[in-house]
Amino acid sequence: MSSLPLTNYLRTNRKRLAFTQEEVAFLLGSRGESKGAKVCRHEKFTCESKLRTALAYEVIYQKPVRDLFAGLYRQIEQEVAERAKILSLRKDLNPSQRTAYRRQVLAGLAARQTEQSLNPTQK
Amino acid sequence: MNHQHPKQFRLLAIALTCRGLGYAVLEGEESLIESSHMSVRKGDKNEKCLAKVETLIKFYQPEVLVLQDVRAKGSRRALRIKRLYRAVVRFARKQKIKVELISEAQLRTLLLGDPRGTKHEIAEMIAKLFPDELALRLPPKRRAWESADSRMDIFDAVALAVAFRMRER
Repeated sequence: MSSLPLTNYLRTNRKRLAFTQEEVAFLLGSRGESKGAKVCRHEKFTCESKLRTALAYEVIYQKPVRDLFAGLYRQIEQEVAERAKILSLRKDLNPSQRTAYRRQVLAGLAARQTEQSLNPTQK
Repeated sequence: MNHQHPKQFRLLAIALTCRGLGYAVLEGEESLIESSHMSVRKGDKNEKCLAKVETLIKFYQPEVLVLQDVRAKGSRRALRIKRLYRAVVRFARKQKIKVELISEAQLRTLLLGDPRGTKHEIAEMIAKLFPDELALRLPPKRRAWESADSRMDIFDAVALAVAFRMRER
């Protein structure tokens, strides 16, 4: 079993504020389906929320999106770090000051993967 | 006791009761992720409870499962609960989850410093520890002629989780 964070902490935060799923659905502006069904799906990790909904969750629960969706954030961070590693290995045809800066940024991004693998429990 | 767990690990505490079960998920040092209870009234109670435990374990993927030690000296749990306890332990071990047991006396000593403390005292202490999550769910003190409130299952589970954390420190 892993000690990675859960995909999201929407249910925890909703309960902390004593909201029902229907109330959160209303605040999110959900329309056209049974009350709270979408919120339930988000909380059970069966579907990912759209950017607008994620930002609305941030407003409602007063916590940053990266904390609310900690597991998802971690997963995306890993994927980006992997891609950054690949990109940093590509050879530049015209090395310049700009490419040097870009390389520095990519190295920083790729290092996040190394940090995560060394310290998997860190949020 | 080995202290090999990282500080952020997730633990699931389950209090098996005659009405069903209470559960709590703790993450990090003192972050209560979830706490609730499930009532089982009709049919095969053990089968239903076990199904719920399986769902919880698959959903939260805990590293440690904390249960009350029903085999401890002085434990007076029903035969059905003892059977359910064995089934839960078997399932957890199959999933490679570490199972930790805390006896009733140990729980009271760790939380209240007195092995003769009451359940309500423990619940009050837990409600103070997690005011945002649990203060509103604290049931009134049970009177001699009343049966235990089902919300007490939640406090039992959270108490197990907190006691385990205290023992690990």
